[in-house]
Amino acid sequence: MYGWIWRHLPGNAWVRSIIALVLVLAVVYALFQYVFPWAEPLLPFGDVTVDGASAGGAGVGQ
Amino acid sequence: MSVRSVVRTFSELCVTVGALIILFVVYFLFWTGVKAADAAEGEIDTLRREWAREPVAAAPPPPSPASSASAEPPAPAPYRDGKPFATMRIPRLGSGWEWPVLENTEVSTLQKGLGHYSGTARPGDTGNFAVAGHRRTYGDPFKDFPKLRPGDAVVVNDGTTWFTYRIAKRPHRTVPTDTAVVAPVPRGSGFEGAGRYLTLTTCEPEWGSSHRLVAWAHLDATRPVSEGEPPELAG
Repeated sequence: MYGWIWRHLPGNAWVRSIIALVLVLAVVYALFQYVFPWAEPLLPFGDVTVDGASAGGAGVGQ
Repeated sequence: MSVRSVVRTFSELCVTVGALIILFVVYFLFWTGVKAADAAEGEIDTLRREWAREPVAAAPPPPSPASSASAEPPAPAPYRDGKPFATMRIPRLGSGWEWPVLENTEVSTLQKGLGHYSGTARPGDTGNFAVAGHRRTYGDPFKDFPKLRPGDAVVVNDGTTWFTYRIAKRPHRTVPTDTAVVAPVPRGSGFEGAGRYLTLTTCEPEWGSSHRLVAWAHLDATRPVSEGEPPELAG
Protein backbone atom coordinates (compact mmCIF):
# COMPACT_ATOMS: atom_id res chain seq x y z
CA MET A 1 0.00 0.00 0.00
CA TYR A 2 2.64 2.52 1.06
CA GLY A 3 5.04 1.12 -1.52
CA TRP A 4 2.43 1.64 -4.19
CA ILE A 5 1.94 5.29 -3.14
CA TRP A 6 5.67 5.84 -3.07
CA ARG A 7 6.10 4.45 -6.57
CA HIS A 8 3.38 6.73 -7.89
CA LEU A 9 4.78 9.94 -6.44
CA PRO A 10 6.63 12.07 -8.98
CA GLY A 11 10.18 13.32 -8.76
CA ASN A 12 13.28 12.05 -7.09
CA ALA A 13 13.56 10.75 -3.54
CA TRP A 14 13.71 14.24 -2.01
CA VAL A 15 10.63 15.50 -3.79
CA ARG A 16 8.79 12.32 -2.94
CA SER A 17 9.73 12.64 0.74
CA ILE A 18 8.41 16.17 0.86
CA ILE A 19 5.17 15.24 -0.89
CA ALA A 20 4.78 12.26 1.43
CA LEU A 21 5.24 14.50 4.46
CA VAL A 22 2.64 16.93 3.16
CA LEU A 23 0.24 14.06 2.56
CA VAL A 24 0.76 12.75 6.10
CA LEU A 25 0.15 16.21 7.56
CA ALA A 26 -2.99 16.60 5.46
CA VAL A 27 -4.31 13.27 6.72
CA VAL A 28 -3.56 14.19 10.35
CA TYR A 29 -5.25 17.56 9.88
CA ALA A 30 -8.35 15.93 8.40
CA LEU A 31 -8.45 13.45 11.27
CA PHE A 32 -8.18 16.12 13.98
CA GLN A 33 -10.51 18.54 12.28
CA TYR A 34 -13.27 16.27 11.03
CA VAL A 35 -12.95 12.58 11.85
CA PHE A 36 -12.09 12.65 15.55
CA PRO A 37 -14.64 15.33 16.51
CA TRP A 38 -17.24 13.17 14.81
CA ALA A 39 -16.10 9.95 16.50
CA GLU A 40 -15.58 11.46 19.92
CA PRO A 41 -19.23 11.69 21.10
CA LEU A 42 -19.54 7.96 20.43
CA LEU A 43 -17.33 7.43 23.47
CA PRO A 44 -18.80 7.81 26.94
CA PHE A 45 -16.54 10.50 28.42
CA GLY A 46 -18.91 13.31 27.49
CA ASP A 47 -21.81 12.03 29.56
CA VAL A 48 -21.83 14.42 32.43
CA THR A 49 -25.51 15.26 32.80
CA VAL A 50 -28.39 13.49 34.41
CA ASP A 51 -30.83 12.25 31.78
CA GLY A 52 -33.88 14.16 30.67
CA ALA A 53 -33.47 16.75 33.37
CA SER A 54 -34.78 19.33 30.95
CA ALA A 55 -35.97 19.59 27.41
CA GLY A 56 -32.46 20.32 26.26
CA GLY A 57 -30.79 17.79 28.51
CA ALA A 58 -28.83 16.13 25.77
CA GLY A 59 -25.32 14.82 25.73
CA VAL A 60 -26.31 11.58 27.35
CA GLY A 61 -27.52 8.16 26.53
CA GLN A 62 -24.70 7.04 24.30
CA MET B 1 -1.17 -12.27 -5.38
CA SER B 2 1.79 -13.70 -3.59
CA VAL B 3 1.82 -14.58 0.09
CA ARG B 4 4.49 -11.96 0.54
CA SER B 5 2.29 -9.11 -0.67
CA VAL B 6 -0.63 -10.30 1.46
CA VAL B 7 1.55 -10.33 4.54
CA ARG B 8 2.99 -6.94 3.67
CA THR B 9 -0.41 -5.35 3.14
CA PHE B 10 -1.68 -6.82 6.40
CA SER B 11 1.32 -5.47 8.29
CA GLU B 12 0.84 -2.05 6.78
CA LEU B 13 -2.79 -2.07 7.81
CA CYS B 14 -1.85 -2.97 11.38
CA VAL B 15 0.70 -0.17 11.52
CA THR B 16 -1.88 2.25 10.14
CA VAL B 17 -4.52 1.26 12.67
CA GLY B 18 -1.96 1.55 15.46
CA ALA B 19 -0.97 5.03 14.35
CA LEU B 20 -4.65 6.02 14.13
CA ILE B 21 -5.28 4.86 17.69
CA ILE B 22 -2.27 6.74 19.00
CA LEU B 23 -3.38 9.88 17.16
CA PHE B 24 -6.87 9.56 18.59
CA VAL B 25 -5.50 9.27 22.12
CA VAL B 26 -3.39 12.37 21.53
CA TYR B 27 -6.45 14.17 20.23
CA PHE B 28 -8.52 13.07 23.17
CA LEU B 29 -6.13 13.71 26.02
CA PHE B 30 -4.33 16.72 24.68
CA TRP B 31 -6.02 18.40 21.78
CA THR B 32 -9.51 18.61 23.29
CA GLY B 33 -7.91 20.44 26.23
CA VAL B 34 -6.26 22.93 23.91
CA LYS B 35 -9.53 23.48 22.07
CA ALA B 36 -11.53 23.86 25.28
CA ALA B 37 -9.06 26.29 26.87
CA ASP B 38 -9.18 28.39 23.74
CA ALA B 39 -12.97 28.26 23.49
CA ALA B 40 -13.50 29.00 27.18
CA GLU B 41 -11.17 31.96 27.03
CA GLY B 42 -13.07 33.24 24.00
CA GLU B 43 -16.41 32.85 25.77
CA ILE B 44 -15.15 34.67 28.86
CA ASP B 45 -13.79 37.46 26.66
CA THR B 46 -17.15 37.73 24.92
CA LEU B 47 -18.87 38.01 28.28
CA ARG B 48 -16.48 40.66 29.58
CA ARG B 49 -16.95 42.69 26.42
CA GLU B 50 -20.72 42.43 26.69
CA TRP B 51 -20.65 43.43 30.33
CA ALA B 52 -18.34 46.35 29.61
CA ARG B 53 -20.56 47.57 26.80
CA GLU B 54 -23.86 47.47 28.57
CA PRO B 55 -24.32 46.38 32.13
CA VAL B 56 -26.64 43.40 32.27
CA ALA B 57 -30.15 44.30 33.37
CA ALA B 58 -29.97 44.56 37.12
CA ALA B 59 -30.53 41.36 38.99
CA PRO B 60 -34.15 40.82 39.86
CA PRO B 61 -34.93 42.47 43.18
CA PRO B 62 -35.38 40.17 46.13
CA PRO B 63 -38.97 39.03 46.29
CA SER B 64 -40.87 41.18 48.70
CA PRO B 65 -43.86 39.66 50.37
CA ALA B 66 -45.74 42.93 49.95
CA SER B 67 -45.77 42.83 46.17
CA SER B 68 -48.96 41.43 44.81
CA ALA B 69 -49.12 38.87 42.03
CA SER B 70 -50.20 41.50 39.53
CA ALA B 71 -47.14 43.64 40.21
CA GLU B 72 -44.73 40.91 39.16
CA PRO B 73 -41.54 42.30 37.63
CA PRO B 74 -41.04 41.50 33.95
CA ALA B 75 -39.15 38.27 33.44
CA PRO B 76 -35.52 38.85 32.48
CA ALA B 77 -34.57 37.96 28.93
CA PRO B 78 -34.04 34.22 28.54
CA TYR B 79 -30.50 32.97 28.09
CA ARG B 80 -29.61 32.25 24.51
CA ASP B 81 -28.87 28.63 23.68
CA GLY B 82 -25.19 27.82 23.66
CA LYS B 83 -24.21 31.34 24.71
CA PRO B 84 -22.30 32.23 27.87
CA PHE B 85 -24.05 34.21 30.59
CA ALA B 86 -21.86 33.85 33.66
CA THR B 87 -18.46 32.78 34.89
CA MET B 88 -17.80 30.31 37.67
CA ARG B 89 -14.83 30.09 39.98
CA ILE B 90 -14.16 27.40 42.57
CA PRO B 91 -11.04 28.18 44.61
CA ARG B 92 -10.81 24.56 45.79
CA LEU B 93 -10.19 23.45 42.20
CA GLY B 94 -7.37 25.93 41.74
CA SER B 95 -6.84 29.67 42.04
CA GLY B 96 -6.86 30.03 38.26
CA TRP B 97 -9.92 27.85 37.84
CA GLU B 98 -12.42 29.93 35.93
CA TRP B 99 -14.91 28.65 33.38
CA PRO B 100 -17.76 30.23 31.47
CA VAL B 101 -21.26 28.93 32.08
CA LEU B 102 -23.24 28.49 28.86
CA GLU B 103 -26.90 27.87 28.32
CA ASN B 104 -27.94 24.23 27.76
CA THR B 105 -26.08 20.95 28.13
CA GLU B 106 -25.60 19.93 24.51
CA VAL B 107 -22.40 18.15 23.54
CA SER B 108 -21.12 21.15 21.61
CA THR B 109 -21.87 23.50 24.50
CA LEU B 110 -19.99 21.41 27.03
CA GLN B 111 -16.95 21.51 24.76
CA LYS B 112 -16.65 25.24 25.43
CA GLY B 113 -17.27 25.41 29.13
CA LEU B 114 -19.82 24.44 31.74
CA GLY B 115 -23.43 23.92 30.71
CA HIS B 116 -26.49 25.23 32.52
CA TYR B 117 -29.38 22.78 32.53
CA SER B 118 -31.96 24.80 30.65
CA GLY B 119 -35.14 24.99 32.63
CA THR B 120 -33.41 25.18 35.98
CA ALA B 121 -33.11 28.37 37.99
CA ARG B 122 -30.83 31.30 37.23
CA PRO B 123 -27.96 32.06 39.58
CA GLY B 124 -29.25 33.61 42.76
CA ASP B 125 -32.87 32.73 42.10
CA THR B 126 -35.04 30.52 44.23
CA GLY B 127 -34.75 27.03 42.85
CA ASN B 128 -31.81 25.05 41.64
CA PHE B 129 -29.10 26.53 39.43
CA ALA B 130 -27.83 23.29 37.88
CA VAL B 131 -24.58 23.09 35.94
CA ALA B 132 -22.81 20.19 34.20
CA GLY B 133 -19.16 19.94 33.23
CA HIS B 134 -16.62 17.52 31.85
CA ARG B 135 -14.64 15.47 34.33
CA ARG B 136 -12.05 14.48 31.74
CA THR B 137 -11.16 15.79 28.30
CA TYR B 138 -12.09 19.27 27.08
CA GLY B 139 -9.91 20.92 29.66
CA ASP B 140 -10.85 18.59 32.54
CA PRO B 141 -12.86 21.29 34.36
CA PHE B 142 -14.19 18.92 37.01
CA LYS B 143 -11.15 16.65 37.29
CA ASP B 144 -10.81 17.37 41.02
CA PHE B 145 -14.54 17.21 41.69
CA PRO B 146 -14.16 14.63 44.50
CA LYS B 147 -11.99 17.09 46.42
CA LEU B 148 -14.95 19.38 47.05
CA ARG B 149 -15.74 19.62 50.74
CA PRO B 150 -18.56 21.14 52.75
CA GLY B 151 -18.09 24.87 53.06
CA ASP B 152 -16.13 25.27 49.82
CA ALA B 153 -17.07 28.38 47.89
CA VAL B 154 -18.50 28.31 44.38
CA VAL B 155 -18.53 31.85 43.06
CA VAL B 156 -20.73 32.75 40.10
CA ASN B 157 -20.58 36.12 38.36
CA ASP B 158 -23.40 37.09 36.02
CA GLY B 159 -22.08 40.52 35.19
CA THR B 160 -23.90 42.40 37.93
CA THR B 161 -23.56 40.23 41.00
CA TRP B 162 -21.16 37.81 42.63
CA PHE B 163 -23.11 34.87 43.99
CA THR B 164 -21.19 32.88 46.57
CA TYR B 165 -22.54 29.39 47.10
CA ARG B 166 -21.30 27.01 49.79
CA ILE B 167 -20.96 23.29 49.18
CA ALA B 168 -23.29 21.47 51.55
CA LYS B 169 -21.82 17.98 51.61
CA ARG B 170 -19.26 15.77 49.96
CA PRO B 171 -19.93 14.80 46.34
CA HIS B 172 -22.73 12.32 45.98
CA ARG B 173 -22.61 9.38 43.58
CA THR B 174 -25.74 8.50 41.68
CA VAL B 175 -27.00 6.93 38.46
CA PRO B 176 -27.44 8.86 35.20
CA THR B 177 -31.23 8.64 35.30
CA ASP B 178 -31.51 10.26 38.72
CA THR B 179 -32.93 13.56 37.47
CA ALA B 180 -34.24 14.48 40.90
CA VAL B 181 -30.76 15.67 41.83
CA VAL B 182 -31.35 18.80 39.76
CA ALA B 183 -34.92 19.33 40.98
CA PRO B 184 -35.71 22.68 42.62
CA VAL B 185 -35.30 20.93 45.96
CA PRO B 186 -32.72 18.30 45.04
CA ARG B 187 -33.33 14.82 46.35
CA GLY B 188 -30.52 13.42 48.45
CA SER B 189 -29.02 16.82 49.19
CA GLY B 190 -30.46 17.11 52.66
CA PHE B 191 -32.02 20.45 51.75
CA GLU B 192 -35.58 20.87 52.89
CA GLY B 193 -38.01 23.33 51.41
CA ALA B 194 -37.49 25.86 48.68
CA GLY B 195 -34.20 27.72 48.65
CA ARG B 196 -31.49 29.12 46.44
CA TYR B 197 -29.46 26.08 45.52
CA LEU B 198 -26.74 25.14 43.11
CA THR B 199 -26.05 21.68 41.70
CA LEU B 200 -22.93 20.58 39.86
CA THR B 201 -22.87 17.31 37.92
CA THR B 202 -20.11 15.42 36.18
CA CYS B 203 -19.34 11.85 35.23
CA GLU B 204 -18.20 9.06 37.52
CA PRO B 205 -15.92 7.15 37.36
CA GLU B 206 -13.35 9.55 36.04
CA TRP B 207 -13.07 7.87 32.64
CA GLY B 208 -16.47 6.24 32.52
CA SER B 209 -20.10 7.07 32.34
CA SER B 210 -21.84 4.44 34.43
CA HIS B 211 -22.58 6.94 37.21
CA ARG B 212 -22.70 10.65 37.90
CA LEU B 213 -21.10 12.66 40.64
CA VAL B 214 -23.19 15.46 42.11
CA ALA B 215 -22.37 18.32 44.47
CA TRP B 216 -24.92 20.64 46.04
CA ALA B 217 -24.49 24.10 47.42
CA HIS B 218 -26.71 26.81 48.79
CA LEU B 219 -26.48 30.55 48.31
CA ASP B 220 -24.44 32.09 51.07
CA ALA B 221 -23.83 35.68 49.98
CA THR B 222 -24.30 38.08 47.13
CA ARG B 223 -22.23 41.11 46.32
CA PRO B 224 -22.61 43.69 43.57
CA VAL B 225 -19.83 43.47 41.02
CA SER B 226 -19.11 47.15 41.64
CA GLU B 227 -17.87 46.27 45.13
CA GLY B 228 -15.10 44.07 43.79
CA GLU B 229 -14.36 40.41 44.16
CA PRO B 230 -15.72 38.57 47.17
CA PRO B 231 -13.17 37.65 49.84
CA GLU B 232 -13.38 33.97 48.92
CA LEU B 233 -11.44 34.67 45.74
CA ALA B 234 -8.59 36.50 47.45
CA GLY B 235 -5.24 34.77 47.68
